[in-house]
Amino acid sequence: MPLTSQPIDTSIYSAITDAIKTEAERILTEGQVTAVVGYAAARRKGSAQPIIITEATDAAKLIFTAACVNNLAVYLTKAKKEVPKSGKIGIVVKGCDLKALTGLMGESQLKREDLYLIGVPCAGVLGSTVQPATGLTTDTIAPKCTECDAHLPTGCDFVPLQTPVTPELEQKYATEIARLEALTPAERWAYWKEQFSKCIKCYACRQVCPFCFCEQCLCDRNKPQMVDTTPRPAGNTAWHIVRAMHLAGRCAGCAECERVCPMDIPLNLLNRKMAKELKELYDHEAGFEVLDKGPLNSYTDKDDQSFIK
Amino acid sequence: MSRIGVFICHCGENISRTVDVERVALEVGKLPGVSFSTDYKYMCSDPGQNLLKKAIQEQKLTHIVVAACSPRMHEKTFRKAVEAAGLNPYLCEMANIREHCSWVHENREEATVKATEIVGMMVERVKKNRVLPTITVPVTKRSLVIGGGIAGIQAALDIADCGHEVILVEREPSIGGHMAQLSETFPTLDCSQCIMTPKMVDVANHPKIKLYTYSEIELVEGYIGNFQVTIKKRARSVDEDKCTGCGVCMTKCPQKKIPNKFDQNIGMRTAIYVPFPQAVPNTPVIDRDNCTWYKTGKCGVCQKVCGPGAVDFEQQDKLIVEAVGAIVVATGFDLYSIDEKPKGSPIKGYGEFGHGKIPDVIDGMTFERLASASGPTGGKILRPSDGKEPKQIVFIQCIGSRAREKGISYCSKVCCMYTAKHTMLYHHKVHDGQAYVFFMDARTPGKSYDEFWRRSIEEEEAVYIRGMVSRLYQKGDKIVVMGSDIAVGVQVEIEADMVVLATAVQPQKGAELLAQKLGISYDKYNFYSEAHAKLRPVECATAGIYLAGACQGPKDIPETVSQASAAAAKVMTLFSKDQLEREPIVARVKESGCVGCFACKKVCAYGAVEEKEIRDRQGNLIKTVAFVNPGVCAGCGTCQATCPSKSVELDGYTDEQVIAMIEAL
Repeated sequence: MPLTSQPIDTSIYSAITDAIKTEAERILTEGQVTAVVGYAAARRKGSAQPIIITEATDAAKLIFTAACVNNLAVYLTKAKKEVPKSGKIGIVVKGCDLKALTGLMGESQLKREDLYLIGVPCAGVLGSTVQPATGLTTDTIAPKCTECDAHLPTGCDFVPLQTPVTPELEQKYATEIARLEALTPAERWAYWKEQFSKCIKCYACRQVCPFCFCEQCLCDRNKPQMVDTTPRPAGNTAWHIVRAMHLAGRCAGCAECERVCPMDIPLNLLNRKMAKELKELYDHEAGFEVLDKGPLNSYTDKDDQSFIK
Repeated sequence: MSRIGVFICHCGENISRTVDVERVALEVGKLPGVSFSTDYKYMCSDPGQNLLKKAIQEQKLTHIVVAACSPRMHEKTFRKAVEAAGLNPYLCEMANIREHCSWVHENREEATVKATEIVGMMVERVKKNRVLPTITVPVTKRSLVIGGGIAGIQAALDIADCGHEVILVEREPSIGGHMAQLSETFPTLDCSQCIMTPKMVDVANHPKIKLYTYSEIELVEGYIGNFQVTIKKRARSVDEDKCTGCGVCMTKCPQKKIPNKFDQNIGMRTAIYVPFPQAVPNTPVIDRDNCTWYKTGKCGVCQKVCGPGAVDFEQQDKLIVEAVGAIVVATGFDLYSIDEKPKGSPIKGYGEFGHGKIPDVIDGMTFERLASASGPTGGKILRPSDGKEPKQIVFIQCIGSRAREKGISYCSKVCCMYTAKHTMLYHHKVHDGQAYVFFMDARTPGKSYDEFWRRSIEEEEAVYIRGMVSRLYQKGDKIVVMGSDIAVGVQVEIEADMVVLATAVQPQKGAELLAQKLGISYDKYNFYSEAHAKLRPVECATAGIYLAGACQGPKDIPETVSQASAAAAKVMTLFSKDQLEREPIVARVKESGCVGCFACKKVCAYGAVEEKEIRDRQGNLIKTVAFVNPGVCAGCGTCQATCPSKSVELDGYTDEQVIAMIEAL
């Protein structure tokens, strides 16, 4: 493990940017898609933002850099209205984003034949876009990228011919989960209570999550009211537990919830812990294969029953 | 504003011994919305129900809570009473203050407080109850019977005799099942074929029975009253309409040495064959695996000799869809194959008994074929190895059955009786022979059964040895049987000419696959499960599907026939009305909130959830949502628990009702 910060090679990103531009222009010109969801440069130097283009001439705006942090899958779920409803949609996806799209296909939210997938060989993105022009290093890389097993998305319609190189990094979530698991239940509860107490119920985590596609969230219901909506401890805890449980066996690990949280609640840590449980109990991991039934919606007599005591 | 009536039952002393019912009535009478509360010694009695009806009318009550026993006991009783008084029955709820309170507590004060709280919860719940209309489902008055053994034949004839159409599906080329294989039947020793074949002919000639032989169930869709069944009719290679059953093809077929399954593989048949002369339909089938034409493309003798030109080598499997309202499952049994350990099965084999290795160690069904007048030996008891008449014969009972260590713990029920029968048949045919039976104990309940068993010992000279056999081995042309006689406490060694093993009765191979297609449950042995062991023994938990015969558990012929007629009676009960009434405790989708993830559809065990398209006036698709078919829904609530946006609710058990109950505490 490197002790000091070391740069990570992102030199392939410029070639990828060129390939994305050419491909997006081609599919829009040929009418294969009605829109392409991708990234474009934003106002600040080095920054990037999501963009939806419908004209071939706009393809030149598309980029891919280490600041392209967003999971664009969220623009394809039903709650989002910006994307045209008819025709095939092109979308730029990193491995983690593709896992989310795969999950959405399994949950009848998207159809593969309605998508044109432009996969991105990804060496990693920034953990924070506060300083978007920062170079990608072992320090600035997003924690999720330290555990990534999907640098090269598969099953896409188009992937630029580049091979990402990432050094072996310390797995940040695994380390933290191990630390929490070593605590007593009371200590662990105290840790999470402290974290949840910071929540201001802005629901940014919900808005950014591709899997929070419900038109009416059960936490917004008032007849009957399931969850206290004010940012008080009981309601906060209820919200975060509902969120974690609803994502168990579904979360693709894009960590957008954690990135957008203004109060720095380690939301993806909770997601990773749930994912670990699912792996251990049901041998399930989010991947590139569309599942008809998720691990919590299926039953076999081989399922672990040790939790029944 | 609701005007709730609360009726508290003493249940004799069952409740009032521990709960101060008068105080409960007084306390709950003060709750908002409750306008009448009273107690009575037996609420379920006629005067109790009249009290309830009278109060509804006089007090103009809108909702009812009956605090008494478990709703499983009397919910129906009180809902009927409420309906008779002019209210919707689903505006009546029961508070269980007997099983949940008085029976499990001793402290009167605390039990009274708890009972008040239980009733208070139900008062809050009943306020949120909705009027639920009874669901009616149309009934297709045709039925499917799966399996053409005696159970399926009996059920099909009974239903058809009532004037309803029956589709009878049999996997083998002929109906008849195992009963057609038997020689004589206990306890009267009448010839099995003589009593069986007239019934088979009745099936063939019945105008209301449509028979599909050499066919299997491919797919079952739908629900009670409205099933769609896809039947795969395997290619017979013989046109059933043209064939006259003359049998010339069979006499000319050059492949004559194929073991006949019907004769337990000791008799031979041709490649184009009927399994036995009395087969129904009497139309041969070509066994394509053994036919020269299918193997080499040459021969075709049967086609050449067939006068009406019925042989059709090009015939294909056909899929036929039939609409039926009820299904009787009568797939029967198979005998435990003892010589090998079935792959992947927890059941262990009995290699030590030499079945499959020593040719003269046979199972009970093979003995039936040897004893049968239409069998391969013409009814003579002859050894398979050299065709000699065995002079010493040993029967061993409980092979596989009642042996937990071997994987089967149940009793196969018929073996004691058929072994007794075998000793008699043997004695009648081999006058100078001696039969020995090794047995654990003789289980012979049933009309004239024990007398029959006694007869085999007292009049037919069978020697019964209480004890198990430890080993068998071939010695020259004899089989040495080593066992113990625990009644005397000595080791026994018999040099037998033939050994017959009474092997366990098991469900048909692949029984679990059919159960999965039908959506019915089965036990660890793959026997199909009835809805209630005592009170609903012929119904499955899945509505509209009934069981008959040994597919449910080992049974003899009289029991099988009784159950088949019972299943037919259940089908006729269903068919007696044009519309079927169902409880409206079913799930309902709130379409505005549903995002169509179909998690509900994936977890529904009854296949009740469908996809429904919502379109605007121009016909543009707005979204696809879940739809629960009320005719299929069993009201289990799994969808409700699974829905991430809480957009599906079970009527009568809505989140609103449950939360109101919790908040009342």
